[in-house]
Amino acid sequence: MLRQFMFIVFIALLASCSNEGQPKANAQEDKQSDQSITLYTHRHYDTDKAIFAQFEEETGIKVNVVKANADELIQKMESEGDQSPADLLITVDAGRLVRAKNKGLLQTINSDILTQSIPAHLRDTEGHWFGLTKRARVIVYDKDKVNTEDLSTYEALTESKWNNKILIRSSGNIYNQSLLASIIANDGKEKAKEWAAGVVENFARSPKGNDRDQVKGILAGEGEIAIINTYYLGKLINSKDSTEIKAGNAVSVFFPNQEDRGTHINISGIGVSRYAPHKENAVKFIEYLASKEVQEIFAEANYEYPVNPSAAPSDLLNSWGEFKEDKLPLSKLGELNKEAVIIFDEVKWQ
Amino acid sequence: MQFRIKHLKRDINQWSFYTMAIGLFVAIPVFAIVIYLFDGVGEMWRHIVNYFLLDYIQNSLFLLLGTGFLTFFLGISSAWIVSNYDFPFRRLIEWLLFLPLAIPSYIVAYAYVGLLGNGGSLITYLQSIGFSIQKVEMMNIFGLIWVLSFSLFPYVYASTRTVFKSHPNSIRETAYLLGASNRRYFFSVALPLASPAIIGGLFLVFMEVLNDYGAAKYYGINTFTTGIFRTWTALEDLQSAIYLSALLVVLVFLINSLVNWLRGKRSYAIKVGQQSSTHSRRKSLNGSKRIIYPLLLAIPIVFGLLLPIAQLSYWAMLTLDTMLNAELFWIALQSISVAFGAAFFILITALVLIFFSKWNYLNSVHFIKKVATIGYVIPGAIIGIGIIRSSQTVINFFSDTFHLKIGYLFYGSSVILIYAYVFRFLAVAYNPIEANTLKLGKYLAESSYLLGSSKIKTLFKIELPLLRGTIISAFLLVFIDILKELPLTLILKPYNLQTLAVKAYEYADDERVAEAALPALVLIFTITLMMMLLNYGNKKLTSFGKPANKQMK
Repeated sequence: MLRQFMFIVFIALLASCSNEGQPKANAQEDKQSDQSITLYTHRHYDTDKAIFAQFEEETGIKVNVVKANADELIQKMESEGDQSPADLLITVDAGRLVRAKNKGLLQTINSDILTQSIPAHLRDTEGHWFGLTKRARVIVYDKDKVNTEDLSTYEALTESKWNNKILIRSSGNIYNQSLLASIIANDGKEKAKEWAAGVVENFARSPKGNDRDQVKGILAGEGEIAIINTYYLGKLINSKDSTEIKAGNAVSVFFPNQEDRGTHINISGIGVSRYAPHKENAVKFIEYLASKEVQEIFAEANYEYPVNPSAAPSDLLNSWGEFKEDKLPLSKLGELNKEAVIIFDEVKWQ
Repeated sequence: MQFRIKHLKRDINQWSFYTMAIGLFVAIPVFAIVIYLFDGVGEMWRHIVNYFLLDYIQNSLFLLLGTGFLTFFLGISSAWIVSNYDFPFRRLIEWLLFLPLAIPSYIVAYAYVGLLGNGGSLITYLQSIGFSIQKVEMMNIFGLIWVLSFSLFPYVYASTRTVFKSHPNSIRETAYLLGASNRRYFFSVALPLASPAIIGGLFLVFMEVLNDYGAAKYYGINTFTTGIFRTWTALEDLQSAIYLSALLVVLVFLINSLVNWLRGKRSYAIKVGQQSSTHSRRKSLNGSKRIIYPLLLAIPIVFGLLLPIAQLSYWAMLTLDTMLNAELFWIALQSISVAFGAAFFILITALVLIFFSKWNYLNSVHFIKKVATIGYVIPGAIIGIGIIRSSQTVINFFSDTFHLKIGYLFYGSSVILIYAYVFRFLAVAYNPIEANTLKLGKYLAESSYLLGSSKIKTLFKIELPLLRGTIISAFLLVFIDILKELPLTLILKPYNLQTLAVKAYEYADDERVAEAALPALVLIFTITLMMMLLNYGNKKLTSFGKPANKQMK
């Protein structure tokens, strides 16, 4: 009786394994032998999918996509080692690409097309990764209450006139970490710590919610200025929710540090995996994404700035005006990320 | 100890081996993680201890306490009323009370801010009818307790309801004959008798609370789990993150021992078999109960289900033109099939572990069961690391010794994902089934053995049919959990697999909550459908089962 029972369980196990696994696995193997690439990405935008489909159509190279958080993807690639199916890694910040590079997960790509279409400070010096889109971390302010002349730099946010007026999300967020990393790189560690402590002093409320919530906080009068990424404002203005539209229209964009180093920017970027089974196709894919035409669609859909200077930003972005960007090599953001988090903890920036 | 060793030979039997083998197989990721522990703490450990450990522990304990109280109250009051009183729409309400579980907590967290935050839809409505209210601040620890409690109380409700329902009339009649009031019966008889199930349900709530990441992160509350992620991703110290997870596991073991201590050595066996009379004992509401009890039922349904769903529906309407397409239907189908398969394996594993270890006399085997059910408390992402690492060992072994590339089997199919689900959610099925197996007692099984039936025959003919209600609700809980699961699914799923939870997450992660609403609603709808099917199936089985029982007699 027991044997029969065990036998049934065993058969059930086998059956389910073969049902669940084999056909897909075989299919995948077939795919791997012909034209395809496997992409690990942290980007979740619908337009990406349309662009991948277009790439497939134009080149016949199929794009397999694994979407998860960059940290998990990096860990996955690390564990998978030389049997990893990943050809490419896309992250939504430079820091993670630097981390992947430091862990030896990426490889050098020499492509004239890429060096020509992407400015030097937006790609790795050794060609391990390339920026695809830019996002600026700006100050948005209440149109009614704040005078533009009062705003100048990130550093000036610690002034006492902003006491109880600054809205910003928690320090667990990578964009805040990158911002502080850029301040460490520009002003030094001591100054950066003073800055962070000064901003904490001026918080309108303890950090919570996401970038959109900060803007809604301005609309509700909880604070007067907020630090957010540009594309979230684009999303608010184009939202279908009436409150979000109202919030988006209640504020204006201010690009800080125009008189000195420029506004802090970050990128969403891509690198070729060290053990990429389809390196050639992978490079083709990056070159495709960096081309002028694709850049315009790729960036516009998410209200981001294209990295390719020949591609034009969308009308909305143009309406905020041109700005000078901080040319700090983005690899610095990755190198200083941890230091930034330590400072955040020390000044109790939640 | 010596005493035990002396009896080792006597106590050990084939079941001990089977239990151990299965338990160890399920527990492989634990060992992979333990191996990490040998590398020592990471370089950021001091920083963690100095700056946030205490804060994180305090917050987590406060959360546990708060959600513990609230879910206890919500779960038990609703379970008591629906299983003891008759009122209009009772059956419907019984089902509705399960449904808050169908909405992922982080979605509920977003929905509440959408309702009560700045310019929230409920706030706007209240303002339009003359209330001068700006907003209700949800984004603090009390808001988090509120959100988690109303989305998790069904765990307590589900396990308690089953027990309340199975209390035979004889006990109640005895209590009344002895002069006990209704209240006294509830506090002195029904509640203590249900305590293993209540504790089992609360345990699940605690695990979910400890594991919550999305809601806590959005509300800006630092908890143990957000700390683990901060350590791993921001402080770039996986090693210390794994140590924090280990600390979390220790915390859970403490809670678990507390539970066992509370449970004591008491036996909760009730003679069952008079279930036919359960229906007749439902009373109708009278007096003040006619107002209070419906109110008690309305609270969890309104705040746990109706309000979040109303907000989600509002968002879904806004985004209907872009979000509604055939793909969503296929995604739903894929989610269901994976969840169904995995839930099936989890149930089999749980039953096998419970009964095999029941048939064995070696006490130390119970430790293995504990280890095998620990997956519920380890953050999903850390489990993911453990599983990837252990499967990598297997893959390397095959490629080194046999020159076989089997990587695609692991990364290109759902096998590893389903294994991960079994490890992650075993406790969800295991705890309530074990509690109810305890309640069955040994009489029936032993009588059956005396009459010459084998263990397996007894299991299939007597014990499993008696546990059917519990098994079905356990299946449902596991099924729901898998449908909602995120971190493991994200990292271990083959890339041609899409699930509703992943779809919803992708939008929410991108701060597009409104777009996440429709996949979330489909998720809720799927779970509702599943519950209705199971309920229908259960009834069919019951009607089939009756003549069979008679024949057996």
